Amino acid sequence: MTFEPFEAFSDVEDLAGKLRDPDPSVRRVAVMELADTADPEAVALVGGALKDGSAEVRLQAAIALGEFDGAETAACLVVGLVDDDPRVARAAADSLAELKDPVAADPVFPLVEHERPFVRAAALRALKELRRRESLAHGLRALDDPDAHVRIEAIGVIGYLKAEEALPALIASGKDEVPEVRRTAVGALAFARSSHAGEALMRALDDEDWSVREVAAEMLGKTGVTRAVAPLMARMDDRDWQVRVKVVRSLGQLHAVEAVPLIAAALGEEVSNLRKEAAAALGEIAHPSSRPYLERYADDPDPDVRKNVRWALGRIG
Amino acid sequence: MDEIKDGLSEIECDVLVIGGGTAGPMAAYKAKMKNPDAKVVLLEKANVKRSGAISMGMDGLNNAVIPGHSTPEQYTKEITIANDGICDQAAVYKYAQHCYEIIEELDKFGIRFQKDENGDYDVKKVHHIGTYVLPMPNGETVKKALYRQLRRARILISNRFMATRLLKGRSGRIAGAVAVNTRTAEFLVVRAKSVIMSMGAAGRLGLPTSGYLYGTYENAANSGEGYAMAYHAGAKLANLECFQINPLIKDYNGPSCAYVAGPFGGFTANSRGERFIECDYWSGQMMQEFYNELLSGNGPVFLKLNHLHKETADHIEQILHTVERPSRGRFHEGRGTRYHETMIEMHISEIGFCSGHSASGVFVDDCARTTVPGLYAAGDMASVPHNYMLGAFTNGAFAGEDAVAFAGEVDFEDYDREEVAREQERVLAPTRREDGIPPNQIEYKARRLVNDYLQPPKVTRKYELGQARLAEVRDDMENHMVARDAHELMRAMEVTSILDCADMAAFASLYREESRWGLYHWRTDHPERNDEEWKCHVLLSKQDGRMTCEKHPVQPYIVPISEEEKDAYYKQRIKAEA
Amino acid sequence: MPLANTSTTVPVLVDEGKCIADKGCTVCVDVCPLDVLRISELTNKAYMKFDECWYCMPCEADCPTGAVTVNIPYLLK
Ligand SMILES: Cc1cc2nc3c(=O)[nH]c(=O)nc-3n(C[C@H](O)[C@H](O)[C@H](O)COP(=O)(O)OP(=O)(O)OC[C@H]3O[C@@H](n4cnc5c(N)ncnc54)[C@H](O)[C@@H]3O)c2cc1C
Ligand code: SF4
Ligand code: SF4
Repeated sequence: MTFEPFEAFSDVEDLAGKLRDPDPSVRRVAVMELADTADPEAVALVGGALKDGSAEVRLQAAIALGEFDGAETAACLVVGLVDDDPRVARAAADSLAELKDPVAADPVFPLVEHERPFVRAAALRALKELRRRESLAHGLRALDDPDAHVRIEAIGVIGYLKAEEALPALIASGKDEVPEVRRTAVGALAFARSSHAGEALMRALDDEDWSVREVAAEMLGKTGVTRAVAPLMARMDDRDWQVRVKVVRSLGQLHAVEAVPLIAAALGEEVSNLRKEAAAALGEIAHPSSRPYLERYADDPDPDVRKNVRWALGRIG
Repeated sequence: MDEIKDGLSEIECDVLVIGGGTAGPMAAYKAKMKNPDAKVVLLEKANVKRSGAISMGMDGLNNAVIPGHSTPEQYTKEITIANDGICDQAAVYKYAQHCYEIIEELDKFGIRFQKDENGDYDVKKVHHIGTYVLPMPNGETVKKALYRQLRRARILISNRFMATRLLKGRSGRIAGAVAVNTRTAEFLVVRAKSVIMSMGAAGRLGLPTSGYLYGTYENAANSGEGYAMAYHAGAKLANLECFQINPLIKDYNGPSCAYVAGPFGGFTANSRGERFIECDYWSGQMMQEFYNELLSGNGPVFLKLNHLHKETADHIEQILHTVERPSRGRFHEGRGTRYHETMIEMHISEIGFCSGHSASGVFVDDCARTTVPGLYAAGDMASVPHNYMLGAFTNGAFAGEDAVAFAGEVDFEDYDREEVAREQERVLAPTRREDGIPPNQIEYKARRLVNDYLQPPKVTRKYELGQARLAEVRDDMENHMVARDAHELMRAMEVTSILDCADMAAFASLYREESRWGLYHWRTDHPERNDEEWKCHVLLSKQDGRMTCEKHPVQPYIVPISEEEKDAYYKQRIKAEA
Repeated sequence: MPLANTSTTVPVLVDEGKCIADKGCTVCVDVCPLDVLRISELTNKAYMKFDECWYCMPCEADCPTGAVTVNIPYLLK
């Protein structure tokens, strides 16, 4: 006896018939099978299922569209995004965020003005990956949105476009009332090389929220803002050790020779993560003045600290 | 379902890919892209949609060489050092040069890597020198994205077919493979001009301490057929004595992922909450440290996150409980453990073969070619060391491209029909018996013996006893194993691979008379590393029906390593013992 | 050597009220890497037939109706 060993490519026409079945569960199964065809012909059918009377079928359709790309898929998902059933809308939002083809942005643009904040946020989230220049204006406008999630997604759109002209607006978002918005904005400034961005990052070092200070400290090193050495040094007394870790790392990255005594003092910290980072930073700066400090900690109980001390001493030569 | 049917189909294709986990889909895809006219078949024991190590995604890429963060030279150096110098650098270097292209391609497929607020890859540092870890906190859909590409490219997929043997022609060239359906026991003979093996690790070699046969670190469908098939086809296998042993969450037996926790400040600690290893990067030396600490008065060993902010610990929890092994969350819930409150008890895994994490496997060159013409291997079962997921993808791509070119130049190789008939008989033998020993008992016993006798430290006398015991089990398997339906027949065939792998593990370990790779090959009778005699590969193969080993020189380095760098890992051990 | 039937508790549960296998769904059975789920011929609903589970969760994640729950196998939980 012989048999067919290959996974079938189901016929889209047959499945279209199943989509008209009176039983919603059968329709639901048909939608899943349509997704598996990976056939562009299936998009319109699955899109049609987003108007099904059964919320379950619509949910399945919203998930299934995540398997496709392009403007037609986006146009279908836009329908799902405004669905009354929150599960359908959430699934549509997730599928929209999967889109990669820049043309998919066109049907999404109008939703940025939608009355529901959820829809506005989802639209911006989808636009982020698509990186279309036209999205910038939408993103900028949405920075003033009353809803924090929308503002966060708007920062995403702008950050991904790395648009220098949007810097003033991003900097302003660094003063947002919601910590998460501030943190996202500070993170998004990393691409900028302008002095204004540097100022904003330095200001964020004094933010009341630890996670904003942490990101700011990290970004200053990453972007090489040498003027930041003094404010970073001032942050070495941050009450939060996770912030101090980033401060130390950035001082290392900035080769801050003047910070050597301060960093060396961190070799005596209780949290070993900090001692390790301090040793690594001293290695990066590789200034002879740190030698005696490093030698004192060559026998640190923590092997990772010892390794970094060895490495640092090796760099000093 | 599951009743045994009598059936056999034969198909022909240009490129046959066996194993549709990570390397396999990429190999099939690349072969088809390079030559859209080629007939490419992807054969999978499970279902390509959710099969293999990455069935629920991964926490991140462990070894991404991304411009601006690390260089191919740096990476090649690190891998050479981590493998105690036993490393053909050409393949590692080639991987390092091309893996970034693969990341970009995967990104286009819709596979989600962590990006910073500017949409750039958010690379983290874990290794000794460079920066290689790229998190994928939302990567649970990776297989879906791959499957989509395969369907779009119209690649022929055969799910639920378990390959059992390769077919070779008289000239020694590859001719195809035999597979059996796991739900009907029907046979599929695939004639192919070239064959790529990507059947993953040998994950069911040792027995997890829980005693649950499927509570393995590796995807339990990866029972080592790739190694067994390569062996029986006469291909050479490299450094099988370099076992895989991993630091895992105790009982759960899944990774606790220092790679995820590390960049946030988490680390592996002893019972005093102190770090005891220099670097959480998985290597034989690191495992030796881990093992020593477990047995010392400072044990057991833990993953420590409770010094972090609750928000940070919760965030790590959220990642670890949604991707890769998402049931981690349920496990901890059952035990009432929260990361921000208590340290998580860890243990070491059972032994296995896996180049993804160590360095053993079917011996391949930098184009994924094995020593059998037309036969390729990629991913966890091929010998390129410390491959991980991105290595599986990248080397899978190399394999696909080379194999489709090879297929374009040759005609089908003839194989011996008798061989297929003999293979059918071998496979079906357990179904012909009225009663006997079921596969699960044979498997349990074989794997329990692997733990008792083969798990490091490796003691020669114990190994010899282990070999004798395993031979008795083999006799039971060959003459008394019974399978009552097609599903059980799959398990029975898996047992044959497991025993083959156990035999190879024992044989290769006894051959290399030195200690190397930390815990992976710690021979108590030969406790020192001996570079003069053993700074070489050990290649195992079947010759005239018998298992043999030979020494094989390491290719001259492309990226030179200074004396000082070479001993980086050894210094660590000496220091810790002092 | 005659065979015995030893019982074992399985980790995966299917809520039969939610399962739509009787309407043609076979998703969980399709995706399981260990191939341990089946549709019952008696009830036409999915169930775990073999206690050989890697607790990996595709069955639960991909089930369209949320009918599947993966628990940790007893021996290691
Ligand atoms: C729990 C876990 C966590 C990990 N975490 C990370 C991480 O965070 N980052 C990282 O980079 N790497 C990680 N890895 C490693 C990485 O996932 C693997 O190296 C990589 O996925 C291996 O790919 P592969 O194609 O070789 O094997 P797999 O993806 O396992 O595929 C093998 C395939 O072969 C099939 N198969 C087996 N036998 C047969 C047969 N006889 N016939 C037909 N088909 C067969 C299997 O069903 C499977 O689909 C992890 C691995 C595991 C197990
Ligand atoms: S996936 Fe869910 S609905 Fe479908 S058969 Fe399985 S349990 Fe039933
Ligand atoms: S958890 Fe994994 S192995 Fe267990 S039934 Fe579900 S898919 Fe299968």
